[in-house]
Amino acid sequence: MDGPVVAALRRRVNEARAAASGDRSVAAERLALPLLALVAALLLALLFYYPVATVFVDAVVEDGRLTFGPLVAVLTDRFYVGRVLGFTAYQALLSTGLSVLLGLPGAWVLARFEFRGRRTLRSVTMVPFVLPSVLVAAGFYATFGANGSLNTVLSALGLPAVDLLPSLGAILVAHAFYNAPLVTRVVTAAWESVDAGAVETARSLGASRRRAFRDVVVPQLLPAVLTGAALTFVFTFASFAIPLALGGAQFATIEVFIYSARRQLEYGRAASLAVLETGVSLSLMALYLRYEREQSARRRGVRTLVRRPLVPDSWTRERLVRRAAVAGYAVVVALVFLAPLASMIYASVSVEGRLTLDAYRFLLERQTTGAAFQVKPFPAVVNSLVFAAATLAVALPLGVAMGVLTTRRFRGRWAVDALSMAPLAVSGIVVGLGLLRGLVFGVEAFGYRFTVTGAVAIVAAHAVAAYPFVVRTVAPPLDRLDRALVESARALGASRARTVLDAELPLVWPGVVAGAAFAVAISIGEFDSTVILAEGGGTYTMPVAVERFIGRRLGPATAMGTVLLAVTAAAFVVVERVGGEFRG
Amino acid sequence: MTHTDRSRRRFLRVAGAAGVAGLAGCAAEPVEDGPSDSAGGTSDDEVTTAGTTTGEPTAAMADTLVVATYPPFVDAPSTSPGAWLKEEFESAFDATLVYQTPDSELNYYIERAVQGVDFEADVYVGLDTGQLIDADGKRGEGQFTDPLFAEAGDVAGLDRVKEGLRFDPQNRVVPFDTGYVSLVWNATMDDGEFVAPETFEELATAPYANDLIAQNPTTSSTGEAFMLHTVDAFGEDGFLDYWSRLQDNGVTVLGDWSSSYSAYLNEEAPMVVSYSTDQVFASAEGQDLDKHQIRFLNDQGYANPEGMARFAASDAPRLARRFMEFVLRPEIQAGIAQRNVAFPAITDAPLPDDYAQYAKEPAEAVTFTYDDLEANLSTWTDQWSRRFAGG
Repeated sequence: MDGPVVAALRRRVNEARAAASGDRSVAAERLALPLLALVAALLLALLFYYPVATVFVDAVVEDGRLTFGPLVAVLTDRFYVGRVLGFTAYQALLSTGLSVLLGLPGAWVLARFEFRGRRTLRSVTMVPFVLPSVLVAAGFYATFGANGSLNTVLSALGLPAVDLLPSLGAILVAHAFYNAPLVTRVVTAAWESVDAGAVETARSLGASRRRAFRDVVVPQLLPAVLTGAALTFVFTFASFAIPLALGGAQFATIEVFIYSARRQLEYGRAASLAVLETGVSLSLMALYLRYEREQSARRRGVRTLVRRPLVPDSWTRERLVRRAAVAGYAVVVALVFLAPLASMIYASVSVEGRLTLDAYRFLLERQTTGAAFQVKPFPAVVNSLVFAAATLAVALPLGVAMGVLTTRRFRGRWAVDALSMAPLAVSGIVVGLGLLRGLVFGVEAFGYRFTVTGAVAIVAAHAVAAYPFVVRTVAPPLDRLDRALVESARALGASRARTVLDAELPLVWPGVVAGAAFAVAISIGEFDSTVILAEGGGTYTMPVAVERFIGRRLGPATAMGTVLLAVTAAAFVVVERVGGEFRG
Repeated sequence: MTHTDRSRRRFLRVAGAAGVAGLAGCAAEPVEDGPSDSAGGTSDDEVTTAGTTTGEPTAAMADTLVVATYPPFVDAPSTSPGAWLKEEFESAFDATLVYQTPDSELNYYIERAVQGVDFEADVYVGLDTGQLIDADGKRGEGQFTDPLFAEAGDVAGLDRVKEGLRFDPQNRVVPFDTGYVSLVWNATMDDGEFVAPETFEELATAPYANDLIAQNPTTSSTGEAFMLHTVDAFGEDGFLDYWSRLQDNGVTVLGDWSSSYSAYLNEEAPMVVSYSTDQVFASAEGQDLDKHQIRFLNDQGYANPEGMARFAASDAPRLARRFMEFVLRPEIQAGIAQRNVAFPAITDAPLPDDYAQYAKEPAEAVTFTYDDLEANLSTWTDQWSRRFAGG
C-alpha cells in the first residue's frame, strides 16, 4: 500500500479523534451514510415510485378491477412489440454507437493533452446536454438542411449539395449531439483517474506503449465507456422530441406513442406502453450493472498520467500523426456540435439575413413591461440557477452515499442498484403524469388534502432525476478502490463516513466533479416535472421560458436559448473550478 | 364530484403539514363534505345544480374570475389577447380576472376531475371539438361523474355567433373565434417558379415530390386538422391510401407545428401545413409575402373553431356568464381576433378594412361535427399512425 496515503489517513484520523474524543460528532459520522441512504429512499419513494405507481396501475386495472387488459392488449399487438419496439431499440443502438464513436476521441484529447483553455473546454462539454430539443432541431435544419450552412459551404467549394433532413441519420446525429458529450465527460473522468504508476510499471517490465495502453489503461476505461453507452442507450430509447422533429412520423419511437396516448387521455395504453418501455430499459440497466460489478481492477495510487502538450517542442512522425488526428476530430466537433449552436445564436440576431437585436429587445421588453402572469427572462435565469445549486446540494451527497453503500457486497445488490437507477429508465411523460396525480393533486386523508408543489418539490424532483448520474460516475471507481485502503482506515478507528471523505473521495474526485456537472445539467435541462410542479407559481426556469417564447419566428426562443447557453456554460465552469479547489 | 368549498378566499394553507415535514410547498387543505355554505358574499349566488343555472341572483356577484386557457393565449411572443382582455374586462366590471395556464391545457382539468380533485378555474377559454369530446369521453371514469361544463344558457350575443361554428350539440361551449388550416407556400423557391397545387390530387403527383411538410395528427392539432381534411376529401375508406400516395411522394411529417414551421422558414420544402392567417404576421414583420402565400386545396380550408365554457363547479357562475357575454361584444371580438390572429365568431365585429387582405378565408369551410368525430376520431388517428409508421 502507498505510504503517503496511509500516513495522511493516519494523521487525519488522529486529528479527528482528538477533536471528537468519542463524543457526539463521531456518532453523527457513523449515522451519516445510513441517514443519507434513508433520505434517498424516502425521496425516491415520494417523488418517483409512488407517482409512477399511480400511472402504471392503469396498465393492469380497469374500472377498479385487476384485469391486465390494457397491458395484454399492448403486449399482444404485433405493431407495438414488433415494429415500434424494434425500431426504438434499433435507433437507440445506432445512436449509442455513434455517441461513443464521437465521444471517445474527446475524452482522449481532454485527458491526455495539455493546452490553453483545456479546463474550460472540459467544463463546458456538457452544455449540449441541457439544450431544449426544439432549439437543437432548429439548429440542425439551419446547419444540415437543404439550404443549411453545410450546403452553402459545399456549393462554395463546388461540391454537390446533400440533403440530410429529415432522415434516420439526422436523428442519430442529433442523439449524438446530446449524448457524445456525456460519454466524453464520463470517460475523461476515468482517464484522469488512471494510475500512472501502473502504466510505468508495465513499461519498465518491457511492455510497449501500445501494450501498456491495452493491458493497463483500457481495462480502467472500459467500465466508464460502458457507463456512457448504457446511459446513452437508455436516453435514446426513451427519446421522442428529436425523432419527431428530425425524422418524422415514420420514425416514431415508443415514447411518441406514449405521448400521443397520454394526449388522447388513453391512460391504459400509455401506461402499458410505458411498462413495456421501462421493462426493456430496466432489464438492460440491470444487465449492465451486473457487468459493472464484475469489473474488479484494483487501484490504489493517487498519481495520474501526465498530459502531453498539444503543441510539442519537437515533431516526430508519431507526434504528427496524433496531432493530425486531434485536428481531424476538431473538424468533426465543429460540424456536429459547434455549427448547430452557432446557427442557433445566429438565428437570435438575424431576421431573413439581416442582423438585428430585435429578439433581445423582446426579452428586455418582456422583462420590463410583461404582465405578472407572463414568463419573464430574468426570473427564469435566477430560478434555474437556484434550482441547480439546490439540486447539487441534495443530489451529490445522496449519490455519493448510495454509491458507497452499493459498493458493499451482498446478494442481489445489482437488483437494489437497478431499482435505485429506475428514474433513468422510466418515460418522462409517465413520471410527469404521476407527479401530477400523486403530488399536485395529492392525497385526501383525515379530512385534509395533502399536496406537494412549488420550488421545494421541483428541487426534490430534480434531485431524484440527477442523483443516479452521481452514483453512476462515483460508484464504479469507488468499487475498484483497493479494499485494503478502506479496511486500514477503519482499523485506524475512522468511521465509514470519515473514510469516504478523507480516503476514498479524493481518489475518485474526477468522478465526483463529473457527477456534480451532471446534477447541474439535469436540473437546468429538466422541463416536464418543472412545469407540472410549478402549479402556476413563479417557479418557471430557462427551458420553460424557451418553450413559451416559441412562436412563428425563431428569434425570441433562440435569444432565450442563447441566454440559457451562456448561463449554463458559466455554471459548469464555476462547478468544475470550485470542484477542482476542493480536491484532496 | 363531492361538492366542496372551493372558495379561493378561504383557502387555508398549512405549510409543512404533509409529505416531507418542514418543506415549504407541501400543503394541506381542509376538505369539506356536503354542500358548502356559500353565503357571506364570497361567491356568486346563482347556485348551480347539475350544471343548470336557476333562480334570480340575490347576493353580490363574485369579485374574482379564474380563467383557464392555453399558454400562448396569454404568453405568445408575437401577440396574444390575454393581457388586453384582462384589462378590458377589469375596467368594464368591478372584478379581477386571474389566468391559469397549465401546460397540458384542458387535459389538466379533465385529469383533476377523474382523480376527484377540485380546482379553482371558473371558465375555460380555447377548447375545440376534439378536446370537448375528450372531456365527455372521460366522464364516468374514476371520480368524474358530474358534468365538467355547465350549459351556457341565456348568454347575450350568442344569437350573433355564426351558425357553422357552434360545434357543441349540448350548447355548453360558446365559440369565440375560428381559424383555418391551409397550406402556406413559398413562391421564391425553384428559382421563383414554384406554384402550389390547387387540389389534393395534384399535391400527390410527381411535380410536388418532397415539397410538403405536414404534422403528425396524433401529436399536433394542425396535423389533426389536415388529416381530417383528407378524410373529408377522400372518405374514411380512401384517406389512408391517399396518405400512402403522399408518403410515396416524399411528404415530411414532423411532430409539431413549430418544428415544421422552422423547417419551412429554413426553406427545407416549399409548402407547409399551417394557418391561413400567416400573412398577418408576415406583413406585420415586414417579411417578403412571396414566401408566405396561402393555398386552400380544393378551395377549402379546415375550420377549427375555438370556444369557451363555464366549469359546472364554478363558484362564480354569474360573473362567468358576464365574461362570456363580454367576449362576444363586437369590439372585443375584433380585439381578440386581431391579437389571436384568427377570425371572429360573430359576423359584425369591427375589424380594420385591411384585415381580410392578409387573413384569408376559404371559399368553403370544411369541418366535422361533434358526432362524427366522437364516433371516429381516435380510430382514424390510430389507423393513420399505424399506416404511416409502416405497421
